[in-house]
Amino acid sequence: MNQYDAVVIGAGNGGLVAAIRLLQGGLKTLVVEKHNLPGGFATSFRRGRFEFEASLHELNDFGTEDNKGDVRVLFDELGVTDKIEWLQIPEAYRVIVKSENLDAVMPFGKQAFIDQMEKYVPGSKKSIQHFFELAEEIRTAQAYTNKAGGKVESSYMVKNFPNYVKTGSYSVNEVLDALKMPKKAKDILNAYWCYLGADCDTLSFTHYASMVLRYITKGAAMPKMRSHEISLALVERIRELGGDIWFNVAAEKILTDKNGVSGVVLADGREIKTKYVIANCAPHLVFGKMLDNVSLKDIKATNARKFAGRGFSMFLGLNKSCDELGITNHNYFLYDTMDTAKQYELMKKIDTNYAQATVCLNRAYPECSPKGTTIMYFTTLYMSDDWGNVKPEDYFKVKDKVAKMMIERFEKDTGCNLRDHIEEISIATPMTYAHYCGHPEGVIYGYESQYWDGLNPRLLMMAQDHTIRGLRFAGGYSMRLSGYSSAYFSGDITGRQTVGDFKRGE
Amino acid sequence: MGYKFKKQIFGWMDLLRFKKLVPNREKHLSEGSEKPLPTSYKVNEVAAILHLGLQKATLTAIKEETKDTKAYTFELSLPMLFRAGQYVTLRKKIGDSLVNRPYGVASSPLESLHNKSLTLMIKKAGFFSDYLFDNAKVGDEFEIVGPSGFFYYEPLTDRKEVIAVAGGSGITPFLAMAKAIVEGQEDFHMTLLYGANKEEEIIAKDELDKLPQDKIKVVYVLANEEKKGYEHGFISAELINKYAPESYTLMFCGSDGMGKFLNGELKKLKGLHNFKSEKNAVGMRDVKPATYKLTVHINDQVYEVKASNNETLLVSMERAGLSVPSSCRAGGCGFCHSKLVSGKFSIAGADKRRLADVKFGYIHPCVTYPDSDMEIIVPQAK
Ligand SMILES: Cc1cc2nc3c(=O)[nH]c(=O)nc-3n(C[C@H](O)[C@H](O)[C@H](O)COP(=O)(O)OP(=O)(O)OC[C@H]3O[C@@H](n4cnc5c(N)ncnc54)[C@H](O)[C@@H]3O)c2cc1C
Ligand code: FES
Repeated sequence: MNQYDAVVIGAGNGGLVAAIRLLQGGLKTLVVEKHNLPGGFATSFRRGRFEFEASLHELNDFGTEDNKGDVRVLFDELGVTDKIEWLQIPEAYRVIVKSENLDAVMPFGKQAFIDQMEKYVPGSKKSIQHFFELAEEIRTAQAYTNKAGGKVESSYMVKNFPNYVKTGSYSVNEVLDALKMPKKAKDILNAYWCYLGADCDTLSFTHYASMVLRYITKGAAMPKMRSHEISLALVERIRELGGDIWFNVAAEKILTDKNGVSGVVLADGREIKTKYVIANCAPHLVFGKMLDNVSLKDIKATNARKFAGRGFSMFLGLNKSCDELGITNHNYFLYDTMDTAKQYELMKKIDTNYAQATVCLNRAYPECSPKGTTIMYFTTLYMSDDWGNVKPEDYFKVKDKVAKMMIERFEKDTGCNLRDHIEEISIATPMTYAHYCGHPEGVIYGYESQYWDGLNPRLLMMAQDHTIRGLRFAGGYSMRLSGYSSAYFSGDITGRQTVGDFKRGE
Repeated sequence: MGYKFKKQIFGWMDLLRFKKLVPNREKHLSEGSEKPLPTSYKVNEVAAILHLGLQKATLTAIKEETKDTKAYTFELSLPMLFRAGQYVTLRKKIGDSLVNRPYGVASSPLESLHNKSLTLMIKKAGFFSDYLFDNAKVGDEFEIVGPSGFFYYEPLTDRKEVIAVAGGSGITPFLAMAKAIVEGQEDFHMTLLYGANKEEEIIAKDELDKLPQDKIKVVYVLANEEKKGYEHGFISAELINKYAPESYTLMFCGSDGMGKFLNGELKKLKGLHNFKSEKNAVGMRDVKPATYKLTVHINDQVYEVKASNNETLLVSMERAGLSVPSSCRAGGCGFCHSKLVSGKFSIAGADKRRLADVKFGYIHPCVTYPDSDMEIIVPQAK
C-alpha cells in the first residue's frame, strides 16, 4: 500500500495518540517510527536483574478512577486505560537545597499541601490558598481554549476568566510576589520548575500553576511495567483500529505541491502518498531537512525559537533495599539554590551543573526489582549546547565524570551511600537522546517555555502556526509544550484537528 | 467564585499585556534569523559515530593468528566510537541467506575513530566463520552494524584493579581494553589470565607481549602443555588468588565450559568486588527435528519461510534471505523485538524480555525456537 489518508512521523507519545485519534476519525493511517520500539522517550530497558524506566518520573494529570485527571479521561476515550496497570505515587516531592537550609517533603492533596506548607512556613497559608484558586481558574480557561482550538474571543475570556487574563502574561515569580507569598514558601512551591525547564523569572505563571495544580490535586501515576507498557498499549490500540505501524522506518522527506502536503518519502526511497502528515518531531528538522521550498516566514519563525534542556540520565540498580540504603522518598529535587535564574545559569555548563531530579522507583512500587535491591534514576538538563563541545575521544570520560558528580551530590545531600552498592549502571547523555529520538542537540523538552513562547501564546496561535496545509505537529515541540501528559494532549489536539481538516477537505 | 486576583501587578496594564501575547509572539517569530536552518548538530554528529547503523566495510587485511583463528581488518565508511569491550555485527549475503554475526572488536577505540579501521578476531566455529576462512579475501565488501554491548570497564562500579580471565578467542575484548589503556581511553590496571590448551593456540601473543607490563600484566595459562614461564592447568580460584590484589573486579570472556568452571570457583576468591561476564550468542537446540511454517510480516510485506525447531526464528528468517534486525543474538539487546501474532514457542536460557513485552506478546526471535507454526511481525533491518 502506497497510499494513506494520513501518515504520522514518529511513534512518540504525541504521535501514538494522534494516530489513534486519526483512526477513530475513520482515516486510514500509517505510523512510521525510525527506532525499533514505540514510545520515543517512553520506553524501558533491561540490565541484569533490573528493568529500568527510561524517562517517566511520574505521570501528571492522570488521577484515579474517582478523581480522574485529564490524561485518564483521554486514555478512556482512546480505549487504553484498562490495558495498563497503574500505580499511585505516594507523595509529591522532597526538595533539598543544602546551601540554603531547605529540606521539605510535600504531600499530594490540596489541603495536605497547604497544611504542610504552613508547618514549614508559618503564615504562608493564605497565599498558597490563593495560588490554588488562581490555578483552578487557569485550568478551566485552558480547557476552554483547547476546546475552541485556540480561536477564542478575548472579551469572552476577560468576562469569564478574569484571573486567567490578569495573570496570563506574567512569570511565576511576578505572580507569587503579588500574592505576597513568603520567600521560603515560594522556594518550596517552585521545586517543580525543572520539569518545565525555564526559570521562574521567565516561566509563564499560568503554565506552571496549571501543572502544579494537576500534580497536587490529581496525584501522579506510573504504569507498573514502566512507560513501555503505555507505549505498547497505544500500539495495540492502533493495530486494533486497523492502523499500520512500521518500525525501523524513518521518514526522510515530506512532499508538497501547490495544495500543501502530498506525500512522504521513507529512508529507503519508498514514496507514500498522503495529504495529511502529523510530525512527532521538531520543526527544526521538518523545516530544516524534510521539506523543500520552505517559506522565509517558517524559517524565521523556527530560528526564533529556543531549545529547552538537553537531557542526561543515570540509571542505577543497587544491591540493597531502599530501607537499607536510607532512601526514604520517591521523588527528589536537589538544587544549589532556589534562585532559579541562577540555577538555570549553572545548568548551562557540564562542570557547574549539579542539579538533579531523582527517583527511587521502589518507593512507589516496592516490587519493581528483586527483593533486597533498588532502582533509582537521576536526570538533569543542560540549558546550553555544552555537550556539543565534547570531543569524541573525551566522550566516555565526560559521561563518567558527570555520573560521578550526580552520585556524589545525592550522597552529600541525603547522607546515603550508593557508591558501594551499584550492581548495574547505565548512562544516557544528550548523544543518547539525539540517537534514539533524533532530536537536535539531544533536547528532551522541546522548545523552551520562554515568556513570549509559553503555553498561552502557543495555544492562542494554533491556527497561525498551521502554515502548510496538511502538516501539523504533535509532541514536545508543539502547542502544549513538553512532558508526557502535554505530549499526549498535543497528539489528541492535532489528531482531532487533522480529522477535521480531512472531513472538510482542507 | 472564590479568590479574585485584585492585586493587579501593573493595574489596567494586565489586560493589555494579555492581549499582547499573540502580537508579541508573532513579532518574535517574525524577527528570527533568515539564515537557513541547521542541517546538522554537533551532538547528533557524535551520536552518529557512537551508534552506527548499517555501514559498508571493506576487508583490508587477514592475519592468521592460530590454526583456527584469524584477525580480519576492515576499513569502515564512517569513523566509529566504541568502548573497548564492545562488539559489532558483521553481515553478508551468502547464497540465499543474509548472515549476521556479532564479533568482539580487537582493535583500539582510537583506531576506528581516527583511521576508520576495525579488527575482528574470528574463530572457525560455524557457518559464517567457515565461509570467511574459505572465501573471504582482501577487497571484499561487507556490512557492519554497531557498536553494541555492555561488557566494558565501568569506572563507577568497577575497581581500579581488574583481573581479566580469557579463554581462546575470548581474548578479543581484553585486547581492545589493553590498547585503550595504553591510549589513555581507559584508566585501570589489568591482570590478564589468558587460558589456552597449548602455546600455539595463544592468539595475538606478539601484541600481548609488547604491552607495557606496569599497566597490563599478562599471564598465560596452558591447560594441556607444560612449558617454562607459563602457568598450567585450569584458571582456578587458587590461581586467581595468587595474582589477586586486595580488592578487584573480575571480568570473564571465554567458552561456556570455562565459564561454568569459573562460576564454581567464585566463592573461593579473596578480594573479589564484582564479577562480569560476556554472554555468547545462542545456537542450536537439541530436540527431535520438526519443520514448521513461519509467517513473517515486515511492513506491508508477508513472507512464508520454513522454520526448523532446533534453530532460532532469527536464523530461519536469515536463511530465507530476509533482512531482519539483530545485534547480540543472545536475547539481551532487544534489536530483534518482534510481535507474536500466533504460535507456540520456547525461549533459550533466561527470559530477558521487558515485562510489558511478555504481557503484550512480543518476542526476541534470536532466542526463540518454534514449537508450532508461527506468525510474527518483525521490523525491517535498519
Ligand atoms: C530522562 C527523561 C525524563 C523525563 N521525565 C518526565 C516525567 O517524569 N514526566 C513527564 O511528564 N515528562 C518527562 N520527560 C519528558 C517526556 O518524556 C517527553 O516530553 C515526551 O516523551 C515527548 O513526547 P514526544 O511526543 O515529543 O515524542 P518523543 O519521545 O520525542 O518521540 C519522537 C519519536 O519520533 C521518532 N522520529 C523522529 N523523527 C523521525 C523521522 N524522521 N521518521 C520516523 N520517526 C521519527 C523518534 O524516533 C521518536 O520515537 C522526561 C524525558 C526524559 C528524556
Ligand atoms: S538480537 Fe539482541 S535480543 Fe535479539
